Amino acid sequence: MKKKLSAVLLSSLLLLSACSSNSGNATNTAKPTDQAATGTKEITVWAWDKNFNIAAMKLAQEAYAKDHPDVKINIVEYAQDDIIQKLNTGLNSGTTSGLPNVVLIEDYRAQSFLKAYPDSFQDLSSSIKASDFADYKIGATSLNGKQYGLPFDSGVTGLYVRTDYLQQAGYKVDDMKNIDWDKFIEIGKAVKAKTGKDMLTQDPNDLGLIRMMIQSAGSWYLKSDGSTPDLKDNAALKDAFQTYKTLMSANIVKITSDWNSFLAGFNSGAVATVPTGNWITPSVKAQADQSGKWAVVPFPKLKNTASSVNASNLGGSSWYVLNSPGKEVAADFLGKTLGSNVDLYQKMLTNIGVIGTYKPAASGEAYTKADDFFGGQKISSDFATWTTQIPKVNYGMHTYEIEDILKVGAQNYLKGTDLDKVLSDAQSQAESQIK
Amino acid sequence: MVALNHTMKNRAQLTGWLFIALAVILICIFYFYPMIQALLLSFKTGAGANLHFNGVDNYKRLFSDKTFFTAVKNTFIFLIIQVPIMILLAMIISVLLNDSNLKFKGFFRTAIFLPCITSLVAYSVVFKYLFGNDGLVNLALLKLHILAQPIQWISDPFWAKVTIIIAITWRWTGYNMIFYLSSLQNIDSSIYEAARLDGASSIRQFFSITVPLLKPIILFTSITSTIGTLQLFDEIVNITKGGPGNATLSISQYIYNLSFKYSPDFGYAATVSYSIVVMIIVLSVLQIKLAGENK
Repeated sequence: MKKKLSAVLLSSLLLLSACSSNSGNATNTAKPTDQAATGTKEITVWAWDKNFNIAAMKLAQEAYAKDHPDVKINIVEYAQDDIIQKLNTGLNSGTTSGLPNVVLIEDYRAQSFLKAYPDSFQDLSSSIKASDFADYKIGATSLNGKQYGLPFDSGVTGLYVRTDYLQQAGYKVDDMKNIDWDKFIEIGKAVKAKTGKDMLTQDPNDLGLIRMMIQSAGSWYLKSDGSTPDLKDNAALKDAFQTYKTLMSANIVKITSDWNSFLAGFNSGAVATVPTGNWITPSVKAQADQSGKWAVVPFPKLKNTASSVNASNLGGSSWYVLNSPGKEVAADFLGKTLGSNVDLYQKMLTNIGVIGTYKPAASGEAYTKADDFFGGQKISSDFATWTTQIPKVNYGMHTYEIEDILKVGAQNYLKGTDLDKVLSDAQSQAESQIK
Repeated sequence: MVALNHTMKNRAQLTGWLFIALAVILICIFYFYPMIQALLLSFKTGAGANLHFNGVDNYKRLFSDKTFFTAVKNTFIFLIIQVPIMILLAMIISVLLNDSNLKFKGFFRTAIFLPCITSLVAYSVVFKYLFGNDGLVNLALLKLHILAQPIQWISDPFWAKVTIIIAITWRWTGYNMIFYLSSLQNIDSSIYEAARLDGASSIRQFFSITVPLLKPIILFTSITSTIGTLQLFDEIVNITKGGPGNATLSISQYIYNLSFKYSPDFGYAATVSYSIVVMIIVLSVLQIKLAGENK
């Protein structure tokens, strides 16, 4: 019955606890560095998304293989959820066998791993230069002044717009540039009236839009220490919630319930805009017959929050090296490829569409190429410019805990509960949950 | 003579113990040891590997944890509404299928049992698409003009619960039906014959003969279904992800979230796990007492 799976879940939790109790510092001392001794150099990399992260890693592997034929790199694809589970159980058990040397971790989760498993990750300060990477990525990838992660893709956001729908509603692309959300909603109503199309899709179970809004104002769910909840008197968050409610009740939102219906929303032409991270570009371009009908403009800002800018971030991840045998080779591999190779970044952008956060690469040729799908717009160069404007925030350890609390709050707020009460309830709940 | 008898008895006993020794040792290692460790773990706190004892703080936290209470409330709503519907449905279907005049019996039996051999994840994903906003169910209801507006099967707090209940009922009714069917076949047909001669209607027969004779099976299926519902996980994660908000969050999913989705807090997750253990024990004892099965 259902019993089975939960039993497995429960017992794996139990087993894991059994192991963790007597592990202590065994991680660091128990394993002899037999790889260095025998001379076999083999490292394993874990990542998700075959068409994006894995494809980028394969390019890095090729680039490294030219000068280092003796190193064998195994790239393994897992779903992100699986990687999180395997890392948690593996690191808890105190043994690193079965774990990879290099692993991709989402920026929202990075601090939680770095703090929960101290000494399990390798300091990369000697292999890469943190100042070479976009400023906003450093907060998530470093801890106590040590640079643990190699900042990878930019989650810089943009507003993807259907120029043909806008035209029908009497607007030009320029009317959408550097606007605030109030203006966005106003245009959305006009688009709905003239074309019958919704302005955007939203999944009520995903507060990505709120996260983008508050980061555009340099604010987050947590204070800058990364552990104190900042919900109750957070003006940017309040503004974001109010904007969210106005948007949701303006009858311009198509409700979706998962990723696939989100993709179907714009691929089928049902919505006029997509406000999200640049990693959506390949999915937008997947609908080849819409070529020339799209443009990307800067992300709207919050109207009543002075600190809000027309740039934000959604998602994005970075590479980490585990503190286990083979770490020197792994760190060298990352440092010589994604940490310094400008040509590699040009290739990643041209072949895959990865916009990196390695600053020296942004002036390269691939970044200045015009894209016919977007009516000849140089979208990569635009995204690279916006990347430098993203306000830096500390995501801290608890993004998903607080998001789950706020989801309930958002539901109540949409149904009519007073916003101040919603946020102060969320604050006290977050305070009791986060320790 | 007495002494000899004694050693023989001892030897027989020893052989007996040897036979079960392997099983006992394995059960101790893989069931009881982890259980005790988990109990100890439920008194610890800390992120990931930095665990330390904090007494009964986890249990105090449990009783002031709103999310936990929402999860318990949701689970009990599923339990109270879904289990009786499913048990009743399973019983009715099994009585219908047990009719000796029914044709294509094998076909119907297989058709109703089939859902329960499908993978939990696979059927959940199919249900998610069926009940999506532009899914088949909404489409059919709109085209038949039963509805004017599509129902938000997955993104409305009320309908999301209904969707989950429909899904688990579809998946598990056939499974429970098989138990009823097999025990119905053990009921002597002469009892029904005698009842018919006495002029009892089929409804009277169902309530006065079938139900009392099926009582042990009703008890068994309701206990296993209760336990199953308390551990509800796959359907929720795959169909609604616990949403909208936490309108369909189940206790098992909360345990998963505490361990893997949030910054890992295995100590508190173990505490929540033990709360399920307590609930299952209490509910099972209650059901056995209510059914008067204490001979």
